[in-house]
Amino acid sequence: MTLTNFIQLLVTGVAMGAIYTLTAKGLFIAHLTTNRVNFGQGDFLMAASFLSLAAIGAGLPLPVAIVAVIIVLSLMGWGLERFAVRPLDRFGAGRAGGALAWILTTAGVALILQNTVELIWGKSSQYSPPLFSDRRDNVIMIGQIGFFLEELLIILAALAAVGGFWWALFRTRWGRDVYTVAFNPDAAALFGIDVRRTVTSVWVMAAILAAISGILVGPLVTVHPHMGLIFTIKALAVASLGGFANPLGILVGGILFGVAEALANYWDSKYGDLYPLLFVMAMLVLKPSGIFGESKADVR
Amino acid sequence: MSAQNPRRLAPLGWLLAIILVAAWPSLAPNPFFVHLGQTFAYTAIAVIGLNILLGLSGQMSLGQAGFYAIGAYGSAITATSFGWPLWLSMPFGLLAAGLVGVLLGLVALRTRGLYLAMATLAFGFIVEIWAQRAVDLTGGTMGLFGVPQLDFGDFRNAAAYTFWICAAALLLVQLGSDWVFSSGTGRKLRAIKESESFAQTVGLNVSLWRTGVFTASALLAGLAGILFAHQSGFVSSDAFSIRLSIALLIAAVIGGLGDTRGPLLGTAILVAIAEVIAGFHTIGLIIYGGILLAVLLLVPEGAVGMLRGAIRPMRRAAHPSPIAEAGMPQAVATRPPPPGTRRGGSLEVVGLSKSYAGVVALRDVSFSVAPGTIHALIGPNGAGKSTLINCVAGLYRADMGSVHLGQDEVTSLSAHQRAWLGLARSFQNLQLISGLTVIENVMLGLRRQAGEGGIRAMMRWVAGLPHEEQERARALAVLDALAIAHLADRTPAQLPYGHRKLVELARALAQDPLVMLLDEPVAGLNSLEAQQIATALRRLRDSGKTILLVEHNMEFVMGLSDRVTVLDHGVVIADNTPLAVQGDKKVIAAYLGAEDTEAPNSEKATAP
Repeated sequence: MTLTNFIQLLVTGVAMGAIYTLTAKGLFIAHLTTNRVNFGQGDFLMAASFLSLAAIGAGLPLPVAIVAVIIVLSLMGWGLERFAVRPLDRFGAGRAGGALAWILTTAGVALILQNTVELIWGKSSQYSPPLFSDRRDNVIMIGQIGFFLEELLIILAALAAVGGFWWALFRTRWGRDVYTVAFNPDAAALFGIDVRRTVTSVWVMAAILAAISGILVGPLVTVHPHMGLIFTIKALAVASLGGFANPLGILVGGILFGVAEALANYWDSKYGDLYPLLFVMAMLVLKPSGIFGESKADVR
Repeated sequence: MSAQNPRRLAPLGWLLAIILVAAWPSLAPNPFFVHLGQTFAYTAIAVIGLNILLGLSGQMSLGQAGFYAIGAYGSAITATSFGWPLWLSMPFGLLAAGLVGVLLGLVALRTRGLYLAMATLAFGFIVEIWAQRAVDLTGGTMGLFGVPQLDFGDFRNAAAYTFWICAAALLLVQLGSDWVFSSGTGRKLRAIKESESFAQTVGLNVSLWRTGVFTASALLAGLAGILFAHQSGFVSSDAFSIRLSIALLIAAVIGGLGDTRGPLLGTAILVAIAEVIAGFHTIGLIIYGGILLAVLLLVPEGAVGMLRGAIRPMRRAAHPSPIAEAGMPQAVATRPPPPGTRRGGSLEVVGLSKSYAGVVALRDVSFSVAPGTIHALIGPNGAGKSTLINCVAGLYRADMGSVHLGQDEVTSLSAHQRAWLGLARSFQNLQLISGLTVIENVMLGLRRQAGEGGIRAMMRWVAGLPHEEQERARALAVLDALAIAHLADRTPAQLPYGHRKLVELARALAQDPLVMLLDEPVAGLNSLEAQQIATALRRLRDSGKTILLVEHNMEFVMGLSDRVTVLDHGVVIADNTPLAVQGDKKVIAAYLGAEDTEAPNSEKATAP
């Protein structure tokens, strides 16, 4: 592998890693507050990719298209929480569906979403137009090395979105409410925080993060109705590297995951993309609380 | 009385099932229904595995298709490409699925809920991708052709033979499932599902059980895959996608999780749905997703739950039963002494220290509990009592110091090992298993004695006879000693709080412990109820039991205990008779915050 090659792979890896991070943040925030996540997070991303493809294809200006996709996905996140997750609270953990019924209901919504997209846009793969440059293969030279401009700009946009999310989480009143509810919902209610609305807002935020990921990932991959599962799996893997609890761990883990995947793919084009996943599963055995997580004992 | 032994008719049911299986190929209107019967039978096997995993032990797997695929390929490849005979290739497929099951079981062992769901999802995905890409071995999406069928050389009757083999396997697996659900195994899995720390304190090796159940479900999925491979004679990687894992989950959920009959019903419904939506395949996923949502949100107990709901009102009318009376039984003092073979032992804590992230919770704590006494551990909130009791029980690991139970040092032993050596505990917030009756909760504490369980019990069970009478009698004797034998067949949720405390005490007593560790036995009770508990504990002590209790109710502690240890800020500040402790200045200062004595700290306080 030449140095040029290596650096180009690095950039590709960072771009995908930034997307994984962004998607995983949605899982992180939902898990933080409700101990549940959307097992269709990747399918929300997929839906956002198709919506943005359609919006841009219909000639909407990029900012309008982005806002429109985010609004639609916000509604989907709200609906998911309201109709597929919250009603489960009626049943205690001891009931038949058990404490894990949310995994199956969110996965059920994911199936419906896949099928719906298939009905609207068909089963075949589609190519998303570039978002920021005029051609998909617009190369710029930095020194001796050529980079896809689109890739660089997507990295910047994804990292900016991660930054925006952190700002919201650590610098706003909403973020304080979220952490208070995460710490103890009953105590939060006593502080005058509307717990139910905070929980809903968290699921909306998770969907928005999926929306941004979906818009950004379009130009990097081919878009098809069943692409979601793999993003769900990888985002879960990245979030578990951070123990679902450490936002910085998720950023570092996400970027490393993307880079490892790009390099492994180069090394072994047949099974390379599976290596990082196998690595994460091995990590779960060795350090179940995540590389960047903290362990907690189960004592009642 | 039929209500006493609902399984009386079970042998008849099995006989009918065997006759139906034998006759099905001739009864079926056309060969398609024989094929459907095959599919039903092996699918149900995988669903049974999932029902035990998710419904009974509470572990989620989104990757059963992976085990199914490994079983299928393990047998199909060795039989087709290597020409192994089926009697060798099929066990090989099972072995492969089992080995991978153990490997993934390691993840199950270390992780919980969400993580396990994620790991199994990723596992299923990895297997599917491998099957697609390892074309030389698996044929990928194009498939592996010419997989030998289960025809015993009689090609014309292949369908009937395949059906009989699949159905026989299902009957055996169903028999195993029924046994699991109606024996101690099922009770233990339910306990692990509801509270792992509880399960440990009745002596269950939770890790071993979790891995075991996970492997069993992998084996059953593998068996289903093997039968599938030899049913169709053609194996393509398309068969093993996430959709299969989801379909199996749908069957388990529709049937009713946590009921041994659920998988049969659920699989029948799934197979029927699959046939119906074959005509609507463009919206197949919407139908599957919709069913999943509808069942979980509207009828989470599934078809079995609905049927049970329809039958229950009739049963209730036939056996009117009064609601458990409020208040405590007055008769504790007149009951026979609790059964048990062991005298109480001693408990010694030496130099125990424990800190959390720099905050010292316990510092050099030492005290000893003499055999056959009631010893109380008291202290203001935040004194470190809970940490101490968890260190003694083995749920927390102390940083320094040692714990001795009778003759044994148990410092490095896990909670379940300590339970086996004779440490029983009750919990501050009750830990009774809600899905079990009172007597079954108590039976969780029992140690198996000679003549119980084993082959004989299983034979009696197969014949539809009561198979746990000895265990029930022993558990009943414990309940009787606490004057609550009449509540044996209720569920904990039906009992008033005070009675539940007694049930938890009975469960600890059933462990025939050397030392009983009681965490706030009278918290939340009125003074009459507390008196009854005190009477019960005194009787236990008089029969030789050793009791260490943590309690805030001073009247209760001082009137009952032989010795009191007072903890404050993680240090022992007094260890004496109740009378001496009540007069101790440091204790008064710790509780009332008097100004003339300094708050006890580590330098001033000395261990007795």
